[in-house]
Amino acid sequence: MSGDAAVTSVAIAGSGLAGWLAASLVARALPDLAITVTETPGPDRSLGVTTAAEILLPDDLLMLGEAGWNGPDLLRECRAGFLLGTALTGWRADGAAAFMPFGEIGAPLGPVPFHQLVSTQRRRGEAVNLANYSIGALAAQAGRFAPPPPGDETAHSALAFGLCVDTQRMAAMLREDALERGVQLTGALSDADLVIDASGPDSRFAGAREDWSAWFPFDRVASARRSSEAPPPPYVHCDAHAAGWQSFAPLADGVGELFVFASADAPGAPPAEPFAPGCEVAAWTDNVVRIAGAAAQHDPVSGLQLHIALADVLRLIALFPATRELAAEAAEYNRQWREQTDCAFDAALLRLARTGARGAVWDRLRASPLPERAGYRHDLYAANGRIVLHDGEVLDEAGWIAQFDALGVQPRKGDALADALPSERIAAHFAAIRQAMIAAVGRMPPYQALLAQAVA
Amino acid sequence: MEGRAVERVVIVGGGTAGWMTAAALAHRLQGLPISVTLVESEEIGTVGVGEATVPHIRFFNARLGIDEADFMRRTSATFKLGIEFRNWGRKGDSYIHPFGVFGEEIEGVPFHHLWARFARAGGRDPVEAFSLPVLAARMDRFAHPDPDPDSLLSTYSYAYQFDAGLYAAYLRAYAEARGVRRVEGRVVGAPLQGETGFVESVVLQDGRIIVGELFIDCSGFRGLLIEQALQAGYEDWSHWLPCDRAVAVPCRSDAPLSPYTRATALDAGWAWRIPLQHRVGNGHVYCSSHISDEAARDALLGQIEGEPIAEPRFLRFTTGRRHKQWDRNVVAIGLAAGFLEPLESTSIHLIQLAVGRLLDHFPDRDWDPFCAREYNRLMDLEYERVRDFLILHYHATERDDTPFWNQVRTMQVPDSLAHRLETFRKRGVVVNYRDGMFLDASWIAVYLGQRVIPETSDPRGEVLSDAGLMLRLASMRDEYAQMASQLPKQNAFLERIGAHVG
Repeated sequence: MSGDAAVTSVAIAGSGLAGWLAASLVARALPDLAITVTETPGPDRSLGVTTAAEILLPDDLLMLGEAGWNGPDLLRECRAGFLLGTALTGWRADGAAAFMPFGEIGAPLGPVPFHQLVSTQRRRGEAVNLANYSIGALAAQAGRFAPPPPGDETAHSALAFGLCVDTQRMAAMLREDALERGVQLTGALSDADLVIDASGPDSRFAGAREDWSAWFPFDRVASARRSSEAPPPPYVHCDAHAAGWQSFAPLADGVGELFVFASADAPGAPPAEPFAPGCEVAAWTDNVVRIAGAAAQHDPVSGLQLHIALADVLRLIALFPATRELAAEAAEYNRQWREQTDCAFDAALLRLARTGARGAVWDRLRASPLPERAGYRHDLYAANGRIVLHDGEVLDEAGWIAQFDALGVQPRKGDALADALPSERIAAHFAAIRQAMIAAVGRMPPYQALLAQAVA
Repeated sequence: MEGRAVERVVIVGGGTAGWMTAAALAHRLQGLPISVTLVESEEIGTVGVGEATVPHIRFFNARLGIDEADFMRRTSATFKLGIEFRNWGRKGDSYIHPFGVFGEEIEGVPFHHLWARFARAGGRDPVEAFSLPVLAARMDRFAHPDPDPDSLLSTYSYAYQFDAGLYAAYLRAYAEARGVRRVEGRVVGAPLQGETGFVESVVLQDGRIIVGELFIDCSGFRGLLIEQALQAGYEDWSHWLPCDRAVAVPCRSDAPLSPYTRATALDAGWAWRIPLQHRVGNGHVYCSSHISDEAARDALLGQIEGEPIAEPRFLRFTTGRRHKQWDRNVVAIGLAAGFLEPLESTSIHLIQLAVGRLLDHFPDRDWDPFCAREYNRLMDLEYERVRDFLILHYHATERDDTPFWNQVRTMQVPDSLAHRLETFRKRGVVVNYRDGMFLDASWIAVYLGQRVIPETSDPRGEVLSDAGLMLRLASMRDEYAQMASQLPKQNAFLERIGAHVG
């Protein structure tokens, strides 16, 4: 009858950020559990690839807040910087830079979505830059920032922000919290009712794996933390280069750099860690739940490694097995995990495979056909600017629009009803939005001063 | 490209689907150079069984700027807080699927987990003791929800029960006042363009020809355009939902106005009761391979509460949906698009969704295939989800008293539903999807109401001792009961807001 017994012990394999995230949040949610964490030496690959900085999306901050981790603590303890979006250079065929902000862009005119108005105006020959109608992009550009005050009803209220955290500092913060809550650190994996595998892609629990190398050519990564005197601006800068891409993520006192490339296309490149995009066929088998990098290795281009790890941990808590007879929980966990994995796959693939970046590897990417689901997303947007949303999305509708637009994907047609609106009416709507946003940004304090105060 | 805009929209068929579509188009296309013509024939009756709705209808009305009290008076409407299901899990059972949530979560643990544990530990209060709309419904009470999220009165939503014929007439007046042209006539043909196979025009019995670019087929089961002209094909779901006929009869009633619809399971189907201000709508949905038309009619007449005020009317249908609800330049809306029995009052909602989606994907005369493809993908999902929810009602039963119930109880259900049922039964987790029409609370209401009680619960709830849980739930129950008993009777409330008929 051991199947009826409650799960009383959990062993977490891996002492990287994913392991300590699981330890802290599970200990907070289920304080009676006996939890151990097995120490793993070497660089932290628990999220997938080793990074110096990781990103928390706006929604992640809400989730962490519910679990008891609030913004001010995260800022101070993780030497975090605020994040308003990602600036792209080298991704478009026309050479233009682009900005993908968090949050809504513009505002609908009656029932017509903003991006359809933009699409209509562009087809009429107007040049419209989406980022000009994002309060986050405008604030980033002006070097100003403040979280929207509660109850605010101005354009400021639409400002969505995330955080960029120091990977090691966040792991240390969570570790301290977990140990205070009675989590035990062990050398070898202890016997437990449930094993959470947070040991990254080289996990000893690896099972049958799907290989994504046919779609994702990048297989080497190098990361570094560079310090800076003044805080860098509140956005990630991501630059496409001939053999891959490079990103710079803003911490309070430095930059987390990531350099990703295809080894076949960069013969003279300095040594870097290999990685292989792919995922487990099932994340949860028997009493082992693989989370974060142990379950799926995505190309890190979307900056979602920490978001995915957090989603895995929260899903596990919501579906925490009531007894050791846990097949029902595992089946539902795997269903949800697969949904999210597929959506993250699509987001990364469409970020990489349909760009205007220059280089042989990018040419090959552009020339290869997309798998059906990602292909439909792309083709639908390219046809008429509409966004497909599945259950496990890692990008919301605004995020997908921002990504397609930033990469230079232009809908051939748009909303037939937007096309019926006179140009002057749309232009007046655009001007009103922009004016309200510029006024709101003007009332924000300079970003650097605000951040200095927040992390002090 | 702008010269390629659709200029003429032709709706074939009046009735609920036709006039809802016409009204929404008239509102949305106002000021644009697009004409809307609706062709209907007074000789052809409308089906109009969908007299009960779900809360989304309020947003449809609100968008059109319709005043609630005026609309309720003119459609003889009542408020609806949910649906009472009698005899579904077992004979003698009764539960209400409310438009609202059960209880409050404690420490992040959804209430139904706590209730399941409470029930396993011997707690006696049924889950409906923790639902304000159910308690109010049982006492024939109603008031508008409170916008203050801290109030218990904010824990529910509501819909209407109305006379679908009067609603269609109401929307007809609305649409005609905004420029929709109504043509009286019987459609006898729809010639196709040779090259494209698109519908070119509709031909009326008297020889008149109405041309257009976009045609909306609201002609009901027959699918005059979508099926008879374009042969879009039909996917039959009757192996899961075997009821294929209905008989309907309205009656008088002196009973107090109930703010809920009733669905009573019978030997080979179920009977609806929809209380309006001036009459009660009744019907019996049944499976013709298990019961004859006469027996079905007698069963209905045997259970209505007052004098019938019309002859019983019979309907035949096949549950399922059109392979393509949008094919070439024809979009089918309402019964022309598919049929799902009105067990959860979804017919009008599916019309509303279709109209909204059509406006979202409004085509131009280049007929970008992605408009139809995405529209069909989204509508297919909606129909499948409603289908699964309906199957749940038949399948989650202990009834073995008739061959009909033995068939549905033991049938193979779609995999997606089997997984949902298993996950709830084992662990109390509601498997749901993005933007689903039925939220978690609806699934919970039907599971628990039909005796699918979770065997285990969320372990986070264990922080509360059994005794602590009993106390918390007892005080919650008293609070709900007290709050519900303070609400006005529906009759009084209708009078207060000026929605009372005569």
